[in-house]
Amino acid sequence: MIAKKTYSIPFIIWIVAGTVIPLASIAYYGFTTRDGGFTFSNITAIFRGDHLQALGLSLSLAIISTVICLLLAFPMAMVLRESKYGKQGFLIFVIILPMWMNFLLRTMAWQVLLERQGVINALITAVGLPRQEIMNTPGAIVLGMVYDFLPFMILPIYNTVSKIDNHLIEAAYDLGATKSKVYTKVILPLSVPGIVSGITMVFIPALTTFVISNMLGGGKINLIGNIIEQEFTINSNWYLGSGLSLVMMVFIILSMLMLQKFDKTGGENLI
Amino acid sequence: MLFLYLPILTLIVLSFNETKSMSVWGGFSLKWYEELFHSRLMMGAIVNTFSIAILAALIATVVGTMAVLGMAAMKPRTQNILLGFNNIPMLNADIVTGIALMLFFLMLGAPRGYMTILFSHATFCIPYVILSVRPRVNKNTDRLFEAALDLGASERYAFRKIVLPELKPGIMSGFLLSFTMSVDDFIITYFTRGAGINTISTLIYSEVKIGIRPSLFALSSIIFVVALVVLLAVNIRNDRIEKAEMIRPAL
Amino acid sequence: MGELIRLEGIVKSFDDTNVLNGIDLSVDENEFVTLLGPSGCGKTTTLRIIAGFEKPDQGRVYFEGKDITDLPANQRPVNTVFQNYALFPHMTVGENIAFSLRVRNKSEDEIKKKVADALKLVNLKGFENRRIDQLSGGQQQRIAMARAIVNEPRVLLLDEPLGALDLKLRQEMEYELVRLKKELGITFIYITHDQEEALTMSDKVVVMNEGYIQQEGTPQEIYDEPVNAFVADFIGDSNIVSGEMVDEKVVRIDGVDYPCIDGTKEGFPPRRRVDVVIRPEDIDIVPYGEGLWNGTIVSKLFIGVHYEMLVQSEHGKIEWLLQNYDQHDVGEKIGMYVDPENIQIMHKPKSEAESAMELDI
Repeated sequence: MIAKKTYSIPFIIWIVAGTVIPLASIAYYGFTTRDGGFTFSNITAIFRGDHLQALGLSLSLAIISTVICLLLAFPMAMVLRESKYGKQGFLIFVIILPMWMNFLLRTMAWQVLLERQGVINALITAVGLPRQEIMNTPGAIVLGMVYDFLPFMILPIYNTVSKIDNHLIEAAYDLGATKSKVYTKVILPLSVPGIVSGITMVFIPALTTFVISNMLGGGKINLIGNIIEQEFTINSNWYLGSGLSLVMMVFIILSMLMLQKFDKTGGENLI
Repeated sequence: MLFLYLPILTLIVLSFNETKSMSVWGGFSLKWYEELFHSRLMMGAIVNTFSIAILAALIATVVGTMAVLGMAAMKPRTQNILLGFNNIPMLNADIVTGIALMLFFLMLGAPRGYMTILFSHATFCIPYVILSVRPRVNKNTDRLFEAALDLGASERYAFRKIVLPELKPGIMSGFLLSFTMSVDDFIITYFTRGAGINTISTLIYSEVKIGIRPSLFALSSIIFVVALVVLLAVNIRNDRIEKAEMIRPAL
Repeated sequence: MGELIRLEGIVKSFDDTNVLNGIDLSVDENEFVTLLGPSGCGKTTTLRIIAGFEKPDQGRVYFEGKDITDLPANQRPVNTVFQNYALFPHMTVGENIAFSLRVRNKSEDEIKKKVADALKLVNLKGFENRRIDQLSGGQQQRIAMARAIVNEPRVLLLDEPLGALDLKLRQEMEYELVRLKKELGITFIYITHDQEEALTMSDKVVVMNEGYIQQEGTPQEIYDEPVNAFVADFIGDSNIVSGEMVDEKVVRIDGVDYPCIDGTKEGFPPRRRVDVVIRPEDIDIVPYGEGLWNGTIVSKLFIGVHYEMLVQSEHGKIEWLLQNYDQHDVGEKIGMYVDPENIQIMHKPKSEAESAMELDI
């Protein structure tokens, strides 16, 4: 044996202090009133009209963005898989590079493009068309989400499809499968683990974001993330904020459980 | 491609724009870069960002590597429970991790600032270290360790000369991953920082909220160029290693 | 030749699984001892206890009469050649071999000379600066040998060192190992599940199964006089059939009585149920009716030097395995004869407790 069990102690302490107790305190505040009494009202507050609307919008925008990312990423991953060695390296490089830019700056870039006085509107008016209100719409938020999160969908899918043994595909053709059959019956099922981790890596941040909606929604469109953030930073109502966070966590856990049904390996291949 | 790079290119072009307009070209200028470098706030944020990233990555690397070694001595069941907990900060939404830590600090009455950010960053970096080092601690490492003992080495010597070099690639990638995660983080920092302290991310956010200034475009251009250079350097190194690996069997 | 290593009553279990159930073993100076058995028989654990990687739950390990049970691995005068070599991947060949010398702070001049000598001994002169992953499997095997012997251990432990090599290389290395042992003049304790390796190289073979030593002896003894069906079956092809003693020197198999001259000293009382082993190459084919018993050839395979045939006995249900140099056709009726001294009579396997008792004999 190289080491003793005791080597793990700092880690265990860190888990308790950095993960277990903080999460427990969300649960504590979520069920507590300002005077320290027990209550469900912070949880049931989700049924307030504006909260429910924000949650609904969050869910639908997150789902739409995830689907768009998936539709864009899968073909791109396949192109990557089939491209030649040197070109492949270049393409991966191209995909990774924007990820290294701070995502606030990337989101800001879209603000610059979509702004009423922005680049796209300048182009539109230059050809004589009326200005468009693109900013501060759900569409702008979806665009920002897709732009920010697309690489997180491409890379895990690419990781799994690149490991598919070419002999399997050749065997499928050899056994008489058509190209579409090869995709639906061989490649797609084998890429499920990548797709699942891609979806987790896009859906959860999209569902919980408050930054993208703040920057591209102009503060007019509230997602559930915005509501929670405001409770903590502006209203200082940690009790309500915690309660709503608990509700949001339920949706996170539900989505993970659903995804795990598709893929037993779960979050293990997130990296 | 266009979709990925058009926004970035726009920022780069605008960073050299004489006027503040986002759509009208007013001539070439470097004044926004000058403004950026003269901003005390920005320089402070840059120092904070990198010092926190290095420290958090160091702490996470030490704690995580020790954890992996300790876990190797445990029963598979215990290991799986610990790994389950390890996955929580990785799978959890950043906003939840952020407010959880914020509440924890509030409960403790800890003043929020540099230290709370550092603690939080180490918390979300440890899982990445564990996941990158763990695959390297296996039966093979055990056997190499035994071989060293068999040849007369003390346990310390065997650990230093044989086990550590074996773990090194995992430790390195864990460290680098932690470093980039920390530099890149906004949400968790946002909730765990105090009033007077900024990292690059939080500074960008507060400035964008007030109104986009072209100096941020200058910052974007610089970050993009730095990322490009770093990635190219890493890529070239990778290519060299791969090339060496391709040549070697031929010898 | 004096006794070098002695194991006394070694018991070891992992997580409630008994791996060793009381092993007593004595290894003489300069002996080539092979622990032979199927995977999971406890041979590797025995080796690891000698090397010092595992502590026995019970029992002691002696080296030259000194109790070394609690001595850590890095202080024992034994070195190991590991199953998959365990060469340090980040070091060159030279650094690997020099490792045990550097640990002992030998001078660089001495290290250089000893490394070169060790490489010469394994026929890889001038390989000092190669990287481990530049070597073939056979070369890695030799480097592992060189690394283990450079510090001149009293005993070399070899854990299935040839297991990863292909057949031809394996046979080549068998000769190489015997040569090395002669040149070094040290004790080898060798582990394998390959009976051919064991019989070819060893002075003494120790057959193990389920944590017990089943039999130990020279390769000849193990082959010719297996003490039970397990050993007989594990060492080479054999016919193992049930029989009953009808007299001191007569055994009844399948209703036919055969004379036998058994080597076992204690003998077998009449009416005792026994196992009978007859090696396939010991059965001669004679004209029909002229042998001890008759049968019909049901299948035939040519396997290189000889033919292997299955013969259905006319007397009962037994199918005999025969190896013969002469060609006979399937369907042919033949007679079979076995020299009485080649009929080996053994005890029926007993319960676990009884077979544990048997180890004391």
